[in-house]
Amino acid sequence: MLSKIGILSTLISTILSFLLVYQSFSEVKSKNNIISKKFYYLSFYQLLFIIFSFLILLFGYIFSDFSLINVYENSHTTKPLFYKITGTWGNHEGSLLLWINIMVLFSFLFLVYKKNTEKKFKLFTLIFQNILILFFLIFLLTNSNPFSEIYPAPSQGMGLNPILQDPALGIHPPLLYLGFVSSSIYFSAALASLICRLEANVFAKFIKLWVVISWSFQTLGILVGSIWAYYELGWGGYWFWDPVENSSLMPWFLMTALFHSLLVLEKKNGLYAWVLILSILTFIMSVTGTFLVRSGILNSVHTFANDPSRGLFILIFLAFMISMSLIILFKYFPNEKNNFLFLSKESFVLFNNWFMIFFLTVVLIGTLYPLFLEVLSKEKVSVGPAYYNIVLAPFIVPFLFLMSYGPQSKWFSSKLVDVKKMFFIILLSFSLVFIFANFEKDSSFITTLILVFSIYLILQSFLDLYTSIKNNSFNLSRSISHLGFGMLIFFISTNNILSTESNFNLKVGETKKLTNYSIKFNNLKILKEKNYETLVGNFLITDIKNYKEENLKPEIRVYNQPKIVTYESSIKSKILSDTYLTMSNLAGSEFYSIRFQTKPFMNLIWISVLIISAGGFLRILRRENK
Amino acid sequence: MKNYFKIITSIIFLILSSNCFSDENLNYKIYKNLRCLVCQGQTIADSNSDFAMTIKSVVDDKVKDGMKENEIYNFLADKYGDWILYKPPFKLKNYILWFLPYILFFLGGILLLLIFLKKTPLSKK
Repeated sequence: MLSKIGILSTLISTILSFLLVYQSFSEVKSKNNIISKKFYYLSFYQLLFIIFSFLILLFGYIFSDFSLINVYENSHTTKPLFYKITGTWGNHEGSLLLWINIMVLFSFLFLVYKKNTEKKFKLFTLIFQNILILFFLIFLLTNSNPFSEIYPAPSQGMGLNPILQDPALGIHPPLLYLGFVSSSIYFSAALASLICRLEANVFAKFIKLWVVISWSFQTLGILVGSIWAYYELGWGGYWFWDPVENSSLMPWFLMTALFHSLLVLEKKNGLYAWVLILSILTFIMSVTGTFLVRSGILNSVHTFANDPSRGLFILIFLAFMISMSLIILFKYFPNEKNNFLFLSKESFVLFNNWFMIFFLTVVLIGTLYPLFLEVLSKEKVSVGPAYYNIVLAPFIVPFLFLMSYGPQSKWFSSKLVDVKKMFFIILLSFSLVFIFANFEKDSSFITTLILVFSIYLILQSFLDLYTSIKNNSFNLSRSISHLGFGMLIFFISTNNILSTESNFNLKVGETKKLTNYSIKFNNLKILKEKNYETLVGNFLITDIKNYKEENLKPEIRVYNQPKIVTYESSIKSKILSDTYLTMSNLAGSEFYSIRFQTKPFMNLIWISVLIISAGGFLRILRRENK
Repeated sequence: MKNYFKIITSIIFLILSSNCFSDENLNYKIYKNLRCLVCQGQTIADSNSDFAMTIKSVVDDKVKDGMKENEIYNFLADKYGDWILYKPPFKLKNYILWFLPYILFFLGGILLLLIFLKKTPLSKK
């Protein structure tokens, strides 16, 4: 029953998308300046029906309707309600439906945004956006249908991978999708603006809101993913330069470059062609990332579900998108005369783009090189954190400097900023690092410089914030985001230097003495929960120096559906430092293998990223109020 | 204003320096740079698999024998292939990986320079 309603509703939405494309083509020719009402209706019903399809699937999950293969494969009656709901997008088919929902949502929002202006441009955007939507709908209906039936309906489902049963992972995909799937709207808008030869600053005004929205959500999505990796995967890290993590970071670099360039486009009509290229590339990069993840050609912690036929489908689509964009770009490439003064604000935007594209290429090369090498020479190579750290770290230093200096420069002028003040702040940052940081290990030259310049960026951003508030200018977004970035680099580096780790074996009753801590294995309990059994260890951690005690309770869980063993870390999270303990059993022994870590500033790392995205959200709100 | 910043950062650094001690040693550093070949995207340090346990004890033995970090990597790469190393070795077949980013950055810099040197002032238009 649900299956038929779901398919029907999706089909209606498909027909409406097709109608939108068809009607737009005929409407474009009419001389009338006002978009006829039927487009709003068509778009609205398209949105309504696709949301309805999604709700149907959600309904199937909540009430465990196992006649749907998708629900049968990914859910189970004993699963808590919250994970039944998040399970809807915790699999390929469901997440594809969510993807389409977001594309349709943004198609609708773009249509109603700035009503009755630039009709031709809006209709062309609608055409391109709906061609994309149509493609994904066909993909969904023919290859990855979440509403496929199974007969007879099984009485029990297969369950969801336990490491996906987690609150952070519940909200991670929707946030990330709001980020990079919404970039489809400025992909479509860029192609439309090429065809309509839209004026540069009009285009900038049209897409800025969407770029900032996608960037802010992408930032949050990456943050939530990292938090999940930190406490669920149990290795104590939050970023492993895993190919799938990289796939979310690459569009982020492009979005960041894009909205910095948009400033130049708005102010001086410059960089039009470049902005168009970035708009197009962002969505292409997002789909490329999806291709890498879903096709399963990459080896990663995230390869939960993959299937070569999906990969082929996305690859064909990708080829279609790229060739369509290239043809339109070459045919309608805008002529422009750019003129840049060195040390003007616009030149710093170019520097930003230079670094962003560099970061992007490093991550892209690091992600794809192993694939190429394997195809060409049958040799396998792993590119891990060490590569990215070595290649990227030296570039962070000038990047931080430019981030502090750039915002103080003036548009169209190569006047130097107050150099004395600048040197004073840099000197202050230097002395702070040298007086207070007596790191014994790993404090290489570059690490020290990174610390110095991140402090410089933090101080400078604070100063900028202070001056804007004093001048009653409430344009704080930029300073806030830059401040967040400075903090992020600072806390990542110090966390990297100061984290400690010890591995040892213990049995119940024993105590392990470390230099600053002693760890006592008090007892071991077996508990039975709704969908898993768990072995809970109780450890007493004593901070020898500060006479503080705390209990950590790591678990070894055996889930019933599917039968999977997971190791749950136990984390005591404080403002300045986390203690992190994981335990695993050793086969045929009463000893347990213990991993104890102290991780300073974890919460401050998360807060830094929140501050970065807060800058974006503030900008969105400010635009709304205007 | 500046004093205020100074005080805050000072406090942070004081806390930092008092906690500044590490139990980590060479063995863990090596574990973290090795891929667990039977897992999906995990390091030897993070894995509890039999394979990871074996490699850990091999590394422990080699460190005890006085082998250098790089020698251990080479030893393992000879046995299991470069796939096991998370830091790709610096050799001919990986030159593209190591150098291409810098070449592209350099080319980008030249492009920027050309943009700045182009002299057609907008103001005269």
